[in-house]
Amino acid sequence: MTATAAPAVSADRLIGRVAALATSPSLRLAARRLVIAVPVLWGVSALTFIVMSVLPGNAAQQILGVQATPAQVHQLELELGLDKPAWLRYASWIGGVLTGNLGRSLASGQPVTAIIGQRLPITVELVVYALAVSVALAVPVALLAARRPGGLADRLSMGISMAGLSMANYVLALLLVIALAVYLPVFPAIGFVPLTESVGANLRSLTLPALAIGLPLACFYTRLLRADIADQMQEDYVVTARAKGVGPWQVLVRHALRNSLFGLLTIVGLNLGTLIGATVIIEQIFSLPGIGQAFLQAINNRDVPLIEAIVLVLATAVVLANLLTDILYAVLDPRIRYGQRPD
Amino acid sequence: MAPAGPIGSLRRLAVATATLALLVAACGGGTSSSTGATQAGPPQRGGSLNYLVSGPLANWDRGLDTASGGAAPSIFEDAIYGQLFRLNATGDVEPVLASAYEFSDGGKTVTLSLHQGITFQDGTPLDAAAVAWNINRDLATTCVCSPITSWPKLGPDGITTPDGDQFKLKPVGAGPFEVVSNVVSSQLVLKRYDGYFKKGQPYLDRLTFTTIGGDQPAYQAVLTGQAQAVGLTTPALIQQARQNQSLTVALTPSTAPWVIQLNTAIPPFNDKRAREAIYYATDPDAMRVHLFGNLFAATQSFTGPAGLFFQAKVPGYRTHDLAKAKQLVDQLGGLTVDLFAGNDNISTTTLQALQTQWAQAGIHTTIRPDPDLTRIIQEFTGKKWQAALQLVGAYDPAVGAGLPFRYLSTAVYSGVHDTVLDQMLDDAASSTDKGKRAQRYADIAKYISDQAYSPYLFGAVTGAVALKSVHGPGLTSSIPLPGGFPAPDWDEAWIAKG
Repeated sequence: MTATAAPAVSADRLIGRVAALATSPSLRLAARRLVIAVPVLWGVSALTFIVMSVLPGNAAQQILGVQATPAQVHQLELELGLDKPAWLRYASWIGGVLTGNLGRSLASGQPVTAIIGQRLPITVELVVYALAVSVALAVPVALLAARRPGGLADRLSMGISMAGLSMANYVLALLLVIALAVYLPVFPAIGFVPLTESVGANLRSLTLPALAIGLPLACFYTRLLRADIADQMQEDYVVTARAKGVGPWQVLVRHALRNSLFGLLTIVGLNLGTLIGATVIIEQIFSLPGIGQAFLQAINNRDVPLIEAIVLVLATAVVLANLLTDILYAVLDPRIRYGQRPD
Repeated sequence: MAPAGPIGSLRRLAVATATLALLVAACGGGTSSSTGATQAGPPQRGGSLNYLVSGPLANWDRGLDTASGGAAPSIFEDAIYGQLFRLNATGDVEPVLASAYEFSDGGKTVTLSLHQGITFQDGTPLDAAAVAWNINRDLATTCVCSPITSWPKLGPDGITTPDGDQFKLKPVGAGPFEVVSNVVSSQLVLKRYDGYFKKGQPYLDRLTFTTIGGDQPAYQAVLTGQAQAVGLTTPALIQQARQNQSLTVALTPSTAPWVIQLNTAIPPFNDKRAREAIYYATDPDAMRVHLFGNLFAATQSFTGPAGLFFQAKVPGYRTHDLAKAKQLVDQLGGLTVDLFAGNDNISTTTLQALQTQWAQAGIHTTIRPDPDLTRIIQEFTGKKWQAALQLVGAYDPAVGAGLPFRYLSTAVYSGVHDTVLDQMLDDAASSTDKGKRAQRYADIAKYISDQAYSPYLFGAVTGAVALKSVHGPGLTSSIPLPGGFPAPDWDEAWIAKG
């Protein structure tokens, strides 16, 4: 009896949990966002295809180079299917995507999935590292600056932030190499060591690229967070906390900072596209075999299948990052319950 | 005798495509200089060399098979496949995998002799059948840039080789190095081929080619020691490297000078006076000295100092004369020019300088640096362009992007439509007698100058920059550039220990 009763109870519980999960606001939000993401990703891929179609020339011309005759170019266009109408080529590509086939690179003939699989992990690691650097620097500096608005730390951080924000990534990259690889040989100037070979060497190889991307972002986040924390410090709950005798640092970190993180979180999520965009140049400078490097080469080669696939992957990453941001809101602030109407 | 058949032969040999051209071109060579070179001593074995590549050299998307359209630059292929012959430092043809050559039948037949016992990296012999098969394959290719006319043909879903994508990613040759790994257009790692026919060579254990974003980061990477050598084209950086005591810099002059092409088919340059005005308004020496640190060579003809039949001076050439330029512009009732070029460092700088110089003569110029190769091609094919800043010439003016490419009436990239010049170009290319050819090309240079078809500016240089410990032809000393890009003799490269 016991043996038969127990599963019945478990099944009930399981059904209850599934039902609860199905009605979870966060999950419903995620599902809704994922459904909305489909037309978004389709729009991005269609726009990319239109742009590539409007641009003069095509892969056949790029592959054959300047010495090819128009007849040779035309013959290659036929063989690559570039003579077909743009909508037909796009439909064919979309059909492939739906069946999990991203096609082959027109330039190298390699499967696009193989190219992305080889390069994406490097870019993902660089982006995560740069993001970590930017947030890890921004939070303490913003706290220091907001601790005493107008004070030395505030003015110093303001000056450094302005300098950082005014500097292009590639200029900063070259300066970092001069400072931390040429004169003070702490980090390598170029190259990539896979994580599987050595964790330490891997991090060292990505440090300068991550700093080149992360430092300007850190400057931006610092200014944003500092202003937000300064605002929070004027709020009633902060005054109350102070009146209760809570120490200034505790007020800053445990009260003001926590509430200010929402703004930072939003900007970090929105900035992911910028972050990924920066990798295109930075991977060139530091010789990182990531997806940004492949993207630039694909554009030069008019390699539409590879361009489309990379854009699709990156757009998906941005969509997912924004979704994650929204879910994190709910984690950080229990008052936020998606899908529930305010009473 | 090796088994016949395309797949077997492909696995075993893919000779450098320039072999026959080298033999026909025979000798030549140019001036070079090297700073910072130290007494090398006997070559030492071992070590790894990381060579940085950027720009056109950084793209081997099409693979490493020499028959692929837009194939990888010879800087990689020479290391993997080796060469039957190459040009040495004095510009003479030097046998490498081959042992000798002999022309007969009035230059229509060439007989090649091979060293005995050479094997490919997979152990099969490099014999006459393999060489003949590869040369015939090359000759059957009407355009080496085309994967259509090259063998193998394209598959329905991209470019394929008989053994799939493997050969073009990890080819097998008889050169000094074999492929370890290949991240396309990012990093190519090679290791010493122990069966290389020259005993004790190559000296390096490992040779790596790494792509990088440009000259500036490349130079910095060499300074850190993470890369040991690079070919720089930016004059300011070459000068900077020459001042650095830890580096050796070998200057290799160009085979192809910069030229202002004028489209003689349409106004304003169908009027000779307009072309003459451009000649007189242009001051290449001011650009050479003030913009490019006096590194570039002056030229009034169509090959650079390292090319065959170079002529620095051409009798009757119209040099800078602002008064004459102004006079011609007045006669024409004003002159407006649309000038386009690529957007590399030298092009953009030169475009701005030309705009300024021509403005002094009253010529109103619109300049258009364009990064897009396709758009540049479309400019030429559209036939409506007026003026273009381009490179002209090749090691041998008869081949590659040489004289016919820029001057033949029927050529897509020509601004000249002159049957007399067409005949002169044919005559110059048809002889194997070097003396006769020299005279014919001198006549062509004079004719182009007299007709004011295209003012020449200067021949650029490539700076081979290497750490002091690195040694080898093309790395620390200058060698001819038949392909237009640096291609060191990799089997001779070595690194001093300690």
